[in-house]
Amino acid sequence: MTEKDVPRISLRKKLQTVLTFTRLNTKRFFRDKLAIFFSVLFPLIFLFVFGSISRGGGKLSFKVAILNDSSSSYSTTFVEQLKNSKIYKIDKTVNNLTQAKDKMGKSQLDGVIYLNKDFGVVQNGNKYPSGQVEVIYTQNQMTAGQTMASVLSASLSGINAKFVNIKTPFTVSQNQLNEKSLTTFDYTFAGLLGFSIIGIGIFGPVNVFPELKKQGILRRLHTTPIKVWQYFLSTMFSQSIIGVLSIAIQFAIAISVFNLRVVGNYFEIIIFTIISIFMVLGIGLAVGGWAKNDRQAAPLSNIIVFPMLFLSGTFFPRFQMPQYLQSITNYLPLTPVIDGMRLLITEGKHLTQILPQLVLIALWMVIIYAIAFRVFRWE
Amino acid sequence: MKDVILKVKNLKKSYDNKPAVDGISFEVYRGEIFGILGPNGAGKTTTLEMIETMREIDSGSISVDGLDVATQGDSVKQIIGVQPQTAAFQDKQKLSEIIELFSAAYGEKVSAKKFLDEVNLGEKINNFAEELSGGQRQRLSIATAIVHNPRLFFLDEPTTGLDPQARRNLWDLIREIRDRGVTVIMTTHYLDEAEILCDRVAIMDNGKIIAIDTPIKLIKDLLKKGFHKEQKVEQANLEDVFIDLTGKGLRE
Repeated sequence: MTEKDVPRISLRKKLQTVLTFTRLNTKRFFRDKLAIFFSVLFPLIFLFVFGSISRGGGKLSFKVAILNDSSSSYSTTFVEQLKNSKIYKIDKTVNNLTQAKDKMGKSQLDGVIYLNKDFGVVQNGNKYPSGQVEVIYTQNQMTAGQTMASVLSASLSGINAKFVNIKTPFTVSQNQLNEKSLTTFDYTFAGLLGFSIIGIGIFGPVNVFPELKKQGILRRLHTTPIKVWQYFLSTMFSQSIIGVLSIAIQFAIAISVFNLRVVGNYFEIIIFTIISIFMVLGIGLAVGGWAKNDRQAAPLSNIIVFPMLFLSGTFFPRFQMPQYLQSITNYLPLTPVIDGMRLLITEGKHLTQILPQLVLIALWMVIIYAIAFRVFRWE
Repeated sequence: MKDVILKVKNLKKSYDNKPAVDGISFEVYRGEIFGILGPNGAGKTTTLEMIETMREIDSGSISVDGLDVATQGDSVKQIIGVQPQTAAFQDKQKLSEIIELFSAAYGEKVSAKKFLDEVNLGEKINNFAEELSGGQRQRLSIATAIVHNPRLFFLDEPTTGLDPQARRNLWDLIREIRDRGVTVIMTTHYLDEAEILCDRVAIMDNGKIIAIDTPIKLIKDLLKKGFHKEQKVEQANLEDVFIDLTGKGLRE
C-alpha cells in the first residue's frame, strides 16, 4: 500500500469544505441568542449611548421660564418669537419668580427671561419702543445664563439696528461650514464600528474556542483531514457575514436616528469592513487558538483589546491626544480600521485614496496570521 | 498468512521522562475487532492517539494499511475513523448538519439520512445534538466517524456510562461495521464486553503489552496454569436477568 492508494483531496474539494463549514456555522449562529446579543445587539447599545451623548452636545438649547410683566403689544410679539425659537425650551408651568427659583435650584431650569412692565413701551420723546430684557440665573446655571444673555443681546442688537439706523463699523460674521466639517457623531460612529469589529473578530473566537477545546470538539475535527487554514478561512467567512450584517444595522440606525450623513460608497465600505474583520479576526484566532482554556484566553484578550479600544480612537477621537501619543497609536492595528472607516463614510474617500490605511492593515494581517497559524492548538 | 492492516513496532512515548507507552509491538488483522484492555494509566489512550496521528511518536513506527503515521499522517487521516471517549457536539446544530459538517471535513458529501438511519437515528434528523441521550450521542458520534468509509475505526471506551440496553445496541452496531469490512480497534474497561465483542485483545499494563491473543485462548492459558474459580459457574449472570426482565429494546 502506498500513498497513491489514498486519493488526494483536491483543492476544489478543500474549498468546498470551507464553504460548507461557513454555511453551517453561520446557520448555527442565528440560532444562538447569546451570540446574536454580543455581536449584534451589544454594539447597538453603545451606538445609542454614544449617539445620544454626541447629539446632545451638538445643539444649543436652554430650558427657560418667561415672566412677562409688560402689557405692550411689542412684548407679546417678542415672547412669541422666543417661543418659536428652537434655542429655548419654555417651561409654561412657571408663573412667578419663586417657582422659577425653586426649579433653578433643582437644575430643572437654566434661567428666567424677565420682561418688566416698561418693556416694549414707546417712551416719551422716542419714535420706537425700548426696554430691558433681564436674564436671571443662579450660580448653578452660570454658564448657561451667561450664554443665554449673550445670545439674547445679539438678537436684540439685530432688532436695534432695524429701529435705529446706525452703521456698525466692526462686525463678526459667523459661517458654519456644515458641508465638510465632521460632527462629533461622525467621529464616534467610525469608532463604534471599530468596537463592533473587535467584538466580532476578537471576543467571538476568544469566547468560543476554549469551549470547543474543553468539549473536545476541535480535537475531534483534528482527527479528520481538515487543515487549520480551512478552519480559519471558514471562520473568516462566517464572521464577515455576521459582521457586515451587524454593521449594516448600525448604519441604518445611525442614519435614521442620529442623522449620520454617509458620503461614501456603500460597496467600498462593505469591502473595507470585510478586510478589517479579516485582520482583526486574526487576533481572535491567535488568542483563542493558542489558549487552552478560558483562564488563558480572557486575560490575554483583555490585555490586547483594552489599550486598543482607548488608543485607537474607538470612544475618544485620537486628535484629542497629545502629539507623541498620536504618532505611536497611529500604528496600532485598529487605528487604520477606524480612520479608514471615517474617511470612507464621512469624507467620501475611495479605497484608492486610503492606501496608507490599507497597507497598514495588510501588514498587520501578515504579522497576525503568521502568529495565529504558529500558535494554534486543536486541544 | 494474515492480512495485516495495522503494524506497530517498538512504539515509545514518555511524558516528563515517565514512559507512558514503553516499547510495544503488535499487529491488527483486517476485518477483526481488536480490543486494547488495561487499567487506567496503562497507556491505552496514548497508544490509540499515536496511531490516530494525534500524538507525536517518540520512537518506533506505526504503519496503517502501509502508510507511515509519522510521515503520511494526512493520508492516514483519510482512511481512519475516530470516535473519542466523550461524544461532544456543538449545540444548536441539527443532526443532519453535523453529518454534513463531518463529511465535509473528510472532503465528502453524503446523504445524512442514510447514515443516521444506519445508527438508528433517522427520526432525529432535525433534532439538535443536545436533545439526544447518552447512547444516541454515541451512535451519532459513530455515524460521524464512518461517513468517509474508513478502513480502520477506533473507539475509545465507547460504552462507558451507557445502560445495558444501549450497550448491547452499540455492540450490534460495532459488529455491523466490522461485517462491512471495517477493522475495529477499541479500548474498554469492561472485560465482559471484550470477551463478547473482540476477536483478539491486547492487555496493557504500565505501558507494555503483557498478553495478546483471542479471549478464548487467553482464558484457556490461564486455566492450564491451574487457575479455577472458587464459586460454581452459573449459566447466567445478573445482567442476563436484567436484560430478560427489561427486554432489549432501547430506552431513549
